[in-house]
Amino acid sequence: MEERQVILTGNPNTGKTTIFNALTGLHQKTGNWPGVTVEVKEGFFIYEGINFKTIDLPGTYSLTSFTEDERVARDILVREKADAVVVIVDSSNLERNLYLVTLLLELEQKVIVDLNMYDIARDRGLAIDINHLEKLLGTRCVITIGNKKTGIEILKKTIYEVSKQVKQPTTKINYGKEVEEEILHLENIVRDISTPYPPRFFALRLLEKDTEIWSHIKGQSNIHNEVKKITEHIYNKFPDIEKYLIEKRYGFIHGLAEECTKRTEVMEEKIEITNKLDRAFTHPFYGTLFFLFFIWVTFNIVFNWGSPFTDMLGKLFSFTSINLKRVLFSMGCPGWVISFLTDGIIGGVGSILVFFPNIFLLFFIFAGLEDSGYMARAAFVTDRLMHKIGLHGKSAIPMILGFGCNVPAIMATRTLETKKDRVLTILTIPFMSCSARLPVYLLFIGIFFQNHRGSILFSLYLVGIVLGLSTARLFKRLFFKEETPPLIMELPLYHTPDIKDMLISGWERSYLFLRKAGTIIFSGVIIIWILSYFPRSASYAGENSFIGMMGGKLAPFLRPAGFGYWQVAVALLFGLLAKELVVGTLGTVFGGEVALTKALSSIFTPLSAYAFMLMTLLYIPCMATIAVIKQEAGTKWAILATIYSIFIGWLVATLFYQGFRLY
Amino acid sequence: MQPLNKVSTGRYKIVRIETPCRPAHRRLMMLGVFEGDEIEVIKPAPGPVILEKNGTRIGIGQGLAAGIMVEQTKEDK
Repeated sequence: MEERQVILTGNPNTGKTTIFNALTGLHQKTGNWPGVTVEVKEGFFIYEGINFKTIDLPGTYSLTSFTEDERVARDILVREKADAVVVIVDSSNLERNLYLVTLLLELEQKVIVDLNMYDIARDRGLAIDINHLEKLLGTRCVITIGNKKTGIEILKKTIYEVSKQVKQPTTKINYGKEVEEEILHLENIVRDISTPYPPRFFALRLLEKDTEIWSHIKGQSNIHNEVKKITEHIYNKFPDIEKYLIEKRYGFIHGLAEECTKRTEVMEEKIEITNKLDRAFTHPFYGTLFFLFFIWVTFNIVFNWGSPFTDMLGKLFSFTSINLKRVLFSMGCPGWVISFLTDGIIGGVGSILVFFPNIFLLFFIFAGLEDSGYMARAAFVTDRLMHKIGLHGKSAIPMILGFGCNVPAIMATRTLETKKDRVLTILTIPFMSCSARLPVYLLFIGIFFQNHRGSILFSLYLVGIVLGLSTARLFKRLFFKEETPPLIMELPLYHTPDIKDMLISGWERSYLFLRKAGTIIFSGVIIIWILSYFPRSASYAGENSFIGMMGGKLAPFLRPAGFGYWQVAVALLFGLLAKELVVGTLGTVFGGEVALTKALSSIFTPLSAYAFMLMTLLYIPCMATIAVIKQEAGTKWAILATIYSIFIGWLVATLFYQGFRLY
Repeated sequence: MQPLNKVSTGRYKIVRIETPCRPAHRRLMMLGVFEGDEIEVIKPAPGPVILEKNGTRIGIGQGLAAGIMVEQTKEDK
């Protein structure tokens, strides 16, 4: 089948996702773009027998290289040379949205302007003359109402027609005689060097001091010098040339929008509702209460609604495992095959799939919070505190979710816009004490701290939070020196989220988790199985198994922290898979639950028990968390987070043990 | 002339935008907010200042709002 390429782009909050979903339905996936941490989705639709491969870029206001989203969007635009670029525009905000259109025209893309959310514009008393707009912009324009599926067929038809054309729109913004002359100069100089950019676009970005663009001419010293001379000359006349150029573009758009829009009667109702809600949701006191309430609801839905499904999955897997064991045994299969299939494979798949319900629900709810417009407000509520630590207002929600499970929490950082904020937030999350660590605390607190259950438990959570936030500060100092910019965010009008979009978002992101993190977790599980099962003379995870021997080797390192026993080391190794396994493994190696309590009270003191709980809290996030850090932030950060947390866990446990031993 | 975080709701003209943070200033411009523009303050401080310009609703954190100097325009609506 003939294939053509379409790119969707647009400002945030323009209903771009809804249009993408309407175009591609369920034929979509999150794209695999090398080095890209922001979300780029891909899908396809078929029209007139042609397969239109569709790329959905992250929402951006501009195409500079100053933020990661914009850089990614720009790179993909110039690399893919799409047959049509659809700019999704919020019809009620024509002026601001057309800014991106002007940049795409400078990038010489075959632009289609999609005036989306036209119903809202109408409610706001605006009517847009699209024929006139087409003439002035030199592009095709389409009207859609994404959430009502209105105009989608016409959009497809227009994409089809534009993709057949060879010529591009040639509308140019005039930046004034003086600047235009210099742009022409620059264009002539850079015309011969090979860049993927059109010369005029390249020249304009040179003027705007775009570092990525400047890096293209770094190696060629004579070109670099000539360019430098011209730009210096302009900077003398226009000290803030960037502002000048932006204003010129807005000037062009303003004229255009004035000519093409007619104001009719206004429906103030919706705006009034938004005003009222905003006063409540961003109020320093009531806003915080609402925030906590929404978080509480989200938490409950994600973990409480999710847990019956998780339990069901767990039961299903253990049921399958037990019965398969029986069947295979009666068939006379060798023991290692049985163990590999049941403990290894089924156990491995099970340990991944149990996360699915929580992750699905999380992203289902998140899509709703995001789509309704609340998420943007929530960022302002937590911004003051987060800003002090060097994080972003939007970091708070993923961090809080970390108390439930680190895996969906790390995936939730996708709502953060810059890589820096994402990485910093991701690094703090493993210190949020997830629910899998609770069984360990409960076991040890039950034995050693009968009379101070609550305060001991609370102290552990507190240690996690304090260390997490200190980590964020430390890493910010070490790796991300630049100042966190103050918060500015567009606040869309509130509206009811679309259930279908929420379902798609939940499915698509949890599927991505299964596919990418799943492979890593699965191989980890297999490795642990091999280490526990072999050599065959040893009992499963016993002292003479490989993992037992590793435990023996590790034990001396744990001695300064007060728990230098091979059994404890093995339990910690199993905790890599999932932290709740620490308890189960201790049970196995000490021979059953009753023996466990006895054994633990003989080898641990309250002091070393607390040190061990600190270790469990802090050392290494579980394999699923490491996998998801790798997936979301990259291998480098996953390795760093792993080593750093082992070190911190050991250090804190040791310092605590040694410090209090003296008393 | 007052900073944006000290005014109440109403229509204002932006006189000057003072911020050492270039990305913040750039973001404001991308959203179509320039010196000399008329804006409407929908929700004043405490908390973020929410303003509207040409149908775009923008939330601005306290720190930045303190650096945006505005002047009241006439009080008709």
